Amino acid sequence: MKSLTYQEALVEAIREEMDADESIIHLGQNIGPELGGAKWSCRGLEKFAEKGRLLDTPISESAMTGAGIGAAAMGLRPIVQIMYLEFMGLTITPLITDGAPIWFKSDGKVKVPMVIRTLFGMQYHHAGHCEDFSGWLTGMPGLKVVLPATPYDAKGLMKAAIRDDNPVVMMEHAHLMHGERQEVPDEEYVIPLGKADVKRQGDDVTLVAAGYMTKTCLEAADALADKGVSVEVVDLRTISPIDRETVAASVGKTGRVAVVSESWKSSGYGAETAAIVAEELGGSLKSNLVRIAPPDAPMPFSLPLMKLFVPHVERIVETVEKMF
Amino acid sequence: MGLTDSDKREMLRLLMATRRIEEVMTEHAGGYHQAVGQEAVIVGAFFGLGEGDIASPHFRGTVPSGYVRGADVRKLIAGVLGKVTGYGRGRWRGDMYAPPEFGMLGMWSGILGTNVNNGTGAALALKYKGGQNVTVATFGDGSSNEGAIHEAMNLAACYDLPVVYICHNNQWAITTPIHKACKAKSIADRAVGYGIPGEQVDGNDVLAVYESVAKAIQRARSGQGPTLIDALTYRVEGHFNLDDGAYQPRDEVEAWKKRDPITVLSSKLIESGLMTGAEIEDMRTKANTEIEQALETALNDPDPDWEAMAPFTGFAPDPKQGDK
Repeated sequence: MKSLTYQEALVEAIREEMDADESIIHLGQNIGPELGGAKWSCRGLEKFAEKGRLLDTPISESAMTGAGIGAAAMGLRPIVQIMYLEFMGLTITPLITDGAPIWFKSDGKVKVPMVIRTLFGMQYHHAGHCEDFSGWLTGMPGLKVVLPATPYDAKGLMKAAIRDDNPVVMMEHAHLMHGERQEVPDEEYVIPLGKADVKRQGDDVTLVAAGYMTKTCLEAADALADKGVSVEVVDLRTISPIDRETVAASVGKTGRVAVVSESWKSSGYGAETAAIVAEELGGSLKSNLVRIAPPDAPMPFSLPLMKLFVPHVERIVETVEKMF
Repeated sequence: MGLTDSDKREMLRLLMATRRIEEVMTEHAGGYHQAVGQEAVIVGAFFGLGEGDIASPHFRGTVPSGYVRGADVRKLIAGVLGKVTGYGRGRWRGDMYAPPEFGMLGMWSGILGTNVNNGTGAALALKYKGGQNVTVATFGDGSSNEGAIHEAMNLAACYDLPVVYICHNNQWAITTPIHKACKAKSIADRAVGYGIPGEQVDGNDVLAVYESVAKAIQRARSGQGPTLIDALTYRVEGHFNLDDGAYQPRDEVEAWKKRDPITVLSSKLIESGLMTGAEIEDMRTKANTEIEQALETALNDPDPDWEAMAPFTGFAPDPKQGDK
C-alpha cells in the first residue's frame, strides 16, 4: 500500500497504462516538463516527453480534440487535456457531435478510445475556471463522463477510462487534486465505469453525489449522525451514464433522497439522477425528493460567495433535517 | 509520381463515372450536394493515395471520393438512399459516408470542418506510428472559414504532420460568393499564416490537380509537413439538388461549363494520341452503364428495420473492464 494524493493517483494510473501500452499518447497545453500542466496534472509523466508521447499543443481546443478523435480512430489511445471544464464548450463539435457517435455511425467499424482530462471545481481561494459545466456533456450518446471523489477511485477510474473503447471525459476536481492522501494498493486494480459506490451505509436517507460533493456529503453525514439521522452516501463515480441500479437500491432502502450537485440545479447529472429516482421509485418515497445544488445563476468569483453558492455541509444538514 | 498512360485513361474513366454518380444522385436522392463539374478536384485529390493512406473528404463529393478509393458504388448509392445495404445500414447519412475500410475518415456529423479536424488527427497517428503514410483532407471555400480548420492547419504545421489540405474551391457557399467571405485573393494565401507552402491550381484540370497534390504528398511522406492547395473550380449547379443557383451570374456559369473537366482531359488525351474520340465515347457509355446498374439495384434494396439500431446504444462494448 502507499499513500497518494488524487493527482498522484491519476498520474500513477496514466503512467502505468502508458508504460504498458505504446498506443497511448498525452496531449495538452503546458503539460511538458517545464510545468507539468495546470495543477501539476502531468507531474510524474516527464519521461514520456522525450519519447514524443507527451505533447504540448497550441491553444486550440477544437483541434486538440479533433486530433485526439482522428488519432483514436486510427488505433491510438490518446489522452487529451482540455485544461479547464470551462473550455470544453470549444470541444463540443469534435467530441460530442462528431466524435462520440462514430462507433454507432460506422456500424461498429471504428472506435474512438480517447480520454479527455479536464479540471474544474470550487477551490478554496479566489480562482476562476471553477464552474461545473458538465451539463454540456452528460446524457450524450457515445460519451462517458467520470468524476472521482477519492485518490483510490481516481486511479481505478482513470485506468478504466483509458482502457474503455469509447470517448471518456475524466473530470478532475481542482480542490481535490492536492488534498487528502489515501491508501492505494500496490497491486493493479480497475474500477468499472458506470458503477456507483456506497461510500457510507445508512438507513434513514440517501445522499447521492459525486466528486467534491461526495466528500461534503460524508462530512454532513457525520454531523447528521450526531443528531440521530443515519445517512447513506452514494458516490456516483460515473456521472454519465448513471448507475441507476445502485441509486434505486439505496433509495428503495431508505425511502428518502437528496441529490447533491456542484452543477446548477436544472442541469446535468443532478437533474438526471432525480429523474431516475422518480422513474424507479415514483410514489414510494417517504418524502419528496430534494435537490441541493447551486441556484440557477452564474457562479460568483469571490470566495465567500462561492462557499455559499456550492452546497456546503451546513446547508446539507439543514436540508436533510427538514426531510423528516 | 509520374502518371502512366493507363493512369490518365483511368482518371478520365473516374471523371466520367463520378459525373454519372452525381447526376443520378441529384435526381434520386432526397437532398444531395452534387459536385457536378468539380470532379477533377476530387479525382485529383485522392488518385495518388495508396494503401494505408487516409482520405478525409469534403461533404460535397464524399460519394465520388469513396468511389475513387475503391468502395462499392452500389453500396455507396444505397447509403444515400437510406437503404440497409448501405455501408452504415442507415445509421449515418450516405451522402457524407466515407467508408473507413477504404482508408477514409470523413465527417460524422453535419458540421463543416470536422473531416479536416479528424483527418489531421489521423495524420498525427500516422506520423506517430512511423512509416510514410499521409492524409489528404479536402474542404470547401465556405468551410475554409470554420475555426476548427484554422486550428487544425496550425497544429499540423507545428507538428509537421503528414497531411495535404485541399480547398475544393467552387467559389460559392450556398448563396455567398467567395469574395464576400474571404478577403484574401486566394485561399492559398492563408498558407503563409500557418508557415506552410500554398498554391492555387486549376481545379478543372485533373492532371494539374494531381501534380500539385502529388508534390504535396511527397513533402508529407518525407516529413516536411503539410501543404495547402487551393483547387479553383466552379459550382455550375445549385448548392444542392433542390437549389437552382439562379442567383449565380449566368455568364460565369456558362464560362465554367465550357471548361468541363471531362472535356479538358478528353482534349488532352486526344491531342496526345492516347485515346480516340470513339474510345472516349465508348468509355463514357461503359461508365454510365456501370453507375446506372448500381443505381437500379440500390433503388430496389430494402430499407432498414428497427433492429438495425441494435444494440440501441452509442457505446462500443468494453470487454476489458475491471472488477472491483
